[in-house]
Amino acid sequence: MLKEKAKVMNEQEMERALKRMSHEILEKNRGLRDMILVGIQRRGVYLANRLRDIFIGLESLKVPTGVLDITLYRDDLTLLHDQPVVHSTAIPEDVNARRILLVDDVLYTGRTIRAALDALMDLGRPSWVQLAVLIDRGHRELPIHPDYVGRSVPTSKNEVVEVRVKELDGLDEVVICEREGS
Amino acid sequence: MEWRHRHVLDLDSWDRSELQHILEQTRSMDELLDRPIKKVPALRGKLVVNLFFEPSTRTRVSFELAEKFLSVDVVNWTASGSSTGKGETLRDTAWTLEAMGADAVVVRHGAVGAADYLAKKLRRSVVFNGGDGAHAHPTQALLDLYTAWKSLGDLHGRKLAMIGDVLHSRVARSDIIAFSRMGVKVELSGPPTLMPRAPEALGATFRKDPHDAVRDADIIYLLRIQRERQEEGMFPSLDEYHQFFGADSRLMGSARPDALVMHPGPINRRVEISSEVADGPQSMILGQVRSGVALRMALLFVCLGGVRQ
Amino acid sequence: MKILLHNAILFDGVSLFGKETDVAIDGGLIEAIGEADLRGGFDVIHDLSGKILCPGFIDLHCHLRDPGQEWREDLFSGSAAGAAGGFTTLVCMPNTDPPLDSPALVSYVLEKSERSPGSRILPAGCVSRGRKGKVLAEMGKMAKAGAVIFTDDGSPVSDTGLLRLALQYSSWLGVRLMEHPEEKSLTAYAQVNEGICSTLSGLKGWPSSAEASDISRGVSLCRDTGVPIHFTHVSAEDSLRVLREAKASKLPVTFDVTPHHLCLSEENVIEGGYDSVFKVNPPLRSRRDRDALWEAVAEGIVDAIATDHAPWHLDEKDLPFQEASFGIASLECAVAAVLTEWEDRGRPCSLERLLGLFTSGPASILPGEWGGAGAGRIEVGLTADLTVLDPELERIVNVEEWKSKARLTPWNGRRLRGWPVMTMVGGRTVHPVEDIDRGLS
Repeated sequence: MLKEKAKVMNEQEMERALKRMSHEILEKNRGLRDMILVGIQRRGVYLANRLRDIFIGLESLKVPTGVLDITLYRDDLTLLHDQPVVHSTAIPEDVNARRILLVDDVLYTGRTIRAALDALMDLGRPSWVQLAVLIDRGHRELPIHPDYVGRSVPTSKNEVVEVRVKELDGLDEVVICEREGS
Repeated sequence: MEWRHRHVLDLDSWDRSELQHILEQTRSMDELLDRPIKKVPALRGKLVVNLFFEPSTRTRVSFELAEKFLSVDVVNWTASGSSTGKGETLRDTAWTLEAMGADAVVVRHGAVGAADYLAKKLRRSVVFNGGDGAHAHPTQALLDLYTAWKSLGDLHGRKLAMIGDVLHSRVARSDIIAFSRMGVKVELSGPPTLMPRAPEALGATFRKDPHDAVRDADIIYLLRIQRERQEEGMFPSLDEYHQFFGADSRLMGSARPDALVMHPGPINRRVEISSEVADGPQSMILGQVRSGVALRMALLFVCLGGVRQ
Repeated sequence: MKILLHNAILFDGVSLFGKETDVAIDGGLIEAIGEADLRGGFDVIHDLSGKILCPGFIDLHCHLRDPGQEWREDLFSGSAAGAAGGFTTLVCMPNTDPPLDSPALVSYVLEKSERSPGSRILPAGCVSRGRKGKVLAEMGKMAKAGAVIFTDDGSPVSDTGLLRLALQYSSWLGVRLMEHPEEKSLTAYAQVNEGICSTLSGLKGWPSSAEASDISRGVSLCRDTGVPIHFTHVSAEDSLRVLREAKASKLPVTFDVTPHHLCLSEENVIEGGYDSVFKVNPPLRSRRDRDALWEAVAEGIVDAIATDHAPWHLDEKDLPFQEASFGIASLECAVAAVLTEWEDRGRPCSLERLLGLFTSGPASILPGEWGGAGAGRIEVGLTADLTVLDPELERIVNVEEWKSKARLTPWNGRRLRGWPVMTMVGGRTVHPVEDIDRGLS
């Protein structure tokens, strides 16, 4: 059982963080040329869509946006408790020689990103891959580093960071929960 | 979701939501088949043995492709004959495979109940029934269901006409159960000597005239006619069969022009199907082959991908 | 040795007596029935309060596989199993290797039976030489040597001319013909009941008409020759229609039903995941057929319950359904299975009627000279073949403990109620073995 412990972000804070990140992304990628936004299933998909919408507002530019499911690339399936469910992968354009911005909600051990990189490479050869995450909670197990971070949150391994999005959860917020009885 | 079925032996106890889940998982796998690199590391380190007691190129190759695309280590074990009389018993074969570390066994056997038997004897490995006698062929039924769902969307309220040798067909048994559980009305037709005694127990009704069965059908499913049934005298001649029950332009004239035509393969042209129908625009036969790989990937992943102690 | 069976509820083969009764046994014979003087110098006194004392149970049909297939069962293991199951008399089928078709083999069984530890074993002889269905076996010599039934069981006598001849020829011997009713041209490769089970499983169907048509043929020959005929393991409602009519027209037709057809149906095959323990000839039938068998029992047209105990070695039975041998082993739980089913069905007939099917019913089919042992009655002067039932006792079937060599049965692990607790053959307690000297307390 998970028990909610603290709220890290509310709706406004989440929006501010995404806006700040989008400015950083624009700055670093000069006009978003050749870029494809790729959200990692499932909540990364909605965050990627938010960034796309912000870019439309800022630059009147619609960046192609896709979704990536990494279930088949995970190395921790036997550690998961639920039956893994494969979602779809749909990237609207060929990834070869493109700049890919991977978007995920929480960066933790780095294994999801490792799997995402493998999945991406099987689709083609991007020229450059960057990573944007809303929350970096530390505890990396692989040499993976985000390029854009909404907020770094120190956590213990017993805690779970939950990013909630309107589209799935009815509201935008980030909370820290703690496993009870473990 | 919690997956209840350790083995895939038949579809008797599968409910609609479980069938739906597999359809959706198959769609994800189907997308994978469009990619330049189809292989994913999902089941790396798993060992699957394809244990075939009956020759079957299609099912075996389909399973093998699915396994390879999921990075499974595959061993093909072709055994011959029955376990009685000569050679090793199925039980000993099963234990041998398990001792070699098989995580799963795909079994095709001529005896009804062989897959159930294997599942009872194996302590660790998962059993996939690749066809047991005339009993069940669950992966064929699921791939057929997927093929229809992909084309038609929600299947509830649709109608399937199945023509041919239902009596001796494991494909028919599993398909009737799968489709009717998804809310599809199933009507059978064919020579009465090739019909089961109690089709209603499967959830199907028998129509004497195949034209009545195909009328208003969304899917027309043709079963393979084994030549030996004619030799056994179950019907007088292949030609007579074709004239009355074969899917040709005459029979298709009674059907809707957009009805899907399906067949588990391999097809007997000029027996259960004419070339114009087999190669025509309504034919889903090659689509079924592709669905087979995707479906088997989905099943393998669902049964072997999660936690299972 | 003088034995007193004290305070039992007596079933004499026909009627149950509510009042507790004593039965005294001396020298292997029933010496007295009624209230005994307990100071009468008995060597052993068994207190049977709450238990039912019955004539020894008779099984008209079991396969003891001896000679020739002793890895499946032999006369000793079969005899011990019979005693443990409450049977004092077993009729063993002649489908042995070689088939029991000669007086020498009849004598072999009887001699071995003399030395066997439990139930007495009476041989059934073949109708045809070599059980091949071509020419008559030496029925006269076999009858003289002690064969009590003639049958080619495992197969029918398919040749109608031969069956007619056999009926005519056996008429002077006083030994009844038992037909295994099966029209073979309807059962080639058949595995399960034709109906729901064949439809769902894809296994080849075994139609009821395969049984009913052969019974019609036999009834017709019985009418023609006037010679009695017995049909064994009748399983289908269609057959019962033919038999009911034959009995109504007073033909000397008798038949038995099995515990498995009374207790199980084709659904067990499906629900059991095609477990080969449910594979039997004739196949487990529909629920409707099973109900019809009980209706026939209640109606009183059934003559006997016979087990068709068919033991196999594990390697011949523990196989995928389609490859496994036909046959259900049940000697050691048949009585309890039937009593449990009878109770579960809300007692569709009287207990007397049910017990009669194990005692006076089968006895009436055996030759007249078996007036002593295997008589199915309790009377002063008769051989003390007795079975004691505890109608309240509940036990879980554990095939590992069986005296039979069979290690598979549909009832393994099932809790059954109403068990035979003591079996006495000729005044000797053969079950439970350990109580021979101590007596039941």
